[in-house]
Amino acid sequence: MILFVAMLLVAIVMLYPFWVMIYNSLMTEAQFLAGKGFSLGSWKALTSVIPVGQEVLSSTIICTASILIILLIGLPAGFAFAKLRFRLSTVVFLAIVSAMMVPLQAILMPEFVNVTKLGLTSGYVGAVLVYSALGTPFSVFLFTTYFRGVPDELIEAGIVDGLGYFGVLWRLVLPIAVPAIATVTVLQFIQIWDDLLVGLLFIQNTSERPITVGLAVLSAGRTTSIPQLMAGSFISAVPAMLVYLGFQRYLVKGLTMGIDR
Amino acid sequence: MADITFDGVSKVFGDDIRAVDNLSLHVADGEFMVLVGPSGCGKTTALRMLAGLEEITSGTLSIGGVVVNDVLPKDRDVAMVFQNYALYPHMTVAQNMGFALKIRGESKAEVQRKVSEAATILRLTDYLERRPKALSGGQRQRVAMGRAIVRNPQAFLMDEPLSNLDAQLRVEMRLEIARIQRLLNVATVYVTHDQIEAMTMGDRVAVMRGGVLQQVATPQFLYDHPANEFVAGFMGSPPMNLLRAHLESGAGESTLVFGRQRVAVPSGYDRTHALPTESGSDVVFGIRPEDVEIVTEAGTVGAISTRVERREALGAEILVHLSLVDADGTSAITIDDNGAVVLRPTVLVAKMGPRADVKVGDALSVRFNPERFHFFDAGSGQSLRQI
Repeated sequence: MILFVAMLLVAIVMLYPFWVMIYNSLMTEAQFLAGKGFSLGSWKALTSVIPVGQEVLSSTIICTASILIILLIGLPAGFAFAKLRFRLSTVVFLAIVSAMMVPLQAILMPEFVNVTKLGLTSGYVGAVLVYSALGTPFSVFLFTTYFRGVPDELIEAGIVDGLGYFGVLWRLVLPIAVPAIATVTVLQFIQIWDDLLVGLLFIQNTSERPITVGLAVLSAGRTTSIPQLMAGSFISAVPAMLVYLGFQRYLVKGLTMGIDR
Repeated sequence: MADITFDGVSKVFGDDIRAVDNLSLHVADGEFMVLVGPSGCGKTTALRMLAGLEEITSGTLSIGGVVVNDVLPKDRDVAMVFQNYALYPHMTVAQNMGFALKIRGESKAEVQRKVSEAATILRLTDYLERRPKALSGGQRQRVAMGRAIVRNPQAFLMDEPLSNLDAQLRVEMRLEIARIQRLLNVATVYVTHDQIEAMTMGDRVAVMRGGVLQQVATPQFLYDHPANEFVAGFMGSPPMNLLRAHLESGAGESTLVFGRQRVAVPSGYDRTHALPTESGSDVVFGIRPEDVEIVTEAGTVGAISTRVERREALGAEILVHLSLVDADGTSAITIDDNGAVVLRPTVLVAKMGPRADVKVGDALSVRFNPERFHFFDAGSGQSLRQI
């Protein structure tokens, strides 16, 4: 009973922001100030103020491309660190993992200079590269931990059966690494989707800006329409929620791997 | 199908850890060779070198007359059964068994035919669509075997495949593996630390210790004529009794002396064994537990006095631990779990019938079967047997 009440309180705390977003978005500016009324006006107005559809698409492209790169690098790197013996592997692994400790703000300026010099600020490439660089250390760490739990014999069986290391990774290890892949995907998706700073700096074209930048623009005017902002915030929150709900059954397994043995 | 030859093969880990030292061993085509020894003796490393999973430091390794030192595992055409089975968890039994064939590019129909044939041999037909997690330990073991046999390889390599099974299933699978091996007649190298598996399954058994091959022979020959005190102490359950003794010789006859007790060495051993000629020399005397007999008649020649220290009733037999009266304090040699030879208080084990009337504390006169004496050099531990 105590547990139930505690969980109910936690659920209320978690769901309250969503309620606030939905409730306030279903009003006009005047209704919001009056504190009563119902209207879809803010939702209609939102689409005329900022190109919501385009921004959601931009965010989706940036997220998908970044996560693909993070997985493409993290999976083989994690496999190599966990299962292959090579010189200085521990040192290289520690160097990569230590990159997780460096805050984005500390390297933002040099990154901006580099990306600008390479002419990658128009289009998605610059932002995608920055997000990939920021997310890869964590994915390498997570995959290494996960693959350390995969029995060596499974890999050796594949090698004796006729596979090379990439074959083993692709055909044997990947199918059983779904929880780890899901964990990286969800955590990176939420992080990239919700990020404002990189999108704001590394994507210069207005037509390519992500939803978070769009919402920032919405609140940057002389007056801010709270119902419109709530509507935009809700649209922005939905994809992250869907990704989380879709992968949540793998998430706990992925996050606790290595500590339950 | 092919034979396997280790020719002076060594494996050194790091700078100085010599896991396998100058191993020379020939496994004939169709032969079932068991590598046995305590943990860390190098048997698994030898098998892994054969599979191509470990590089060879020196020596040559041939399969079917072809040196495979630098051949990739996939090109060696050997199949391996692992201790933990290493089944692919995301595949069904049929997919597990047919995986190597699929990689090799064989047609779907051919893969299906071979998997079906192997499943029939292994009695797995009803489980082909199941995933490994839905199988019992014995069934998983059979799938691992199936994965090996569908490939029709030149050699089977098995790394302690029964060690995760319970005792009853282990007996069943022991017979099953031996049956399949004889049916397919493929050279097989089987690694185990269980000397019962070694004795019951192998055409020949290779005993290893500290990376060095100690003896290769048929199971019965190993049991009857161990090459050294390590093999004598390792093979057999319970192992051979090994006792340090003085050998007094004179007037054409020899006598073993344990403290104040004396046992005459039957004539004939001086011809078959290179017994020390100098009277009073140390020697290690070996006798199997089943060759220790209770003496009921008083004054029997060669009888020695013992005291019952412990009694283990196993149902079909009783193991009786006897201490020699008036013998040296520590002269019994045993082999510990790491394969090290250590001295223990003078106790010997006798195997007696289930109805033997012995109790702890009893004084017993026993004699040793005069035809089954073993002698080993007290220094090197090598058998003194000449023929």
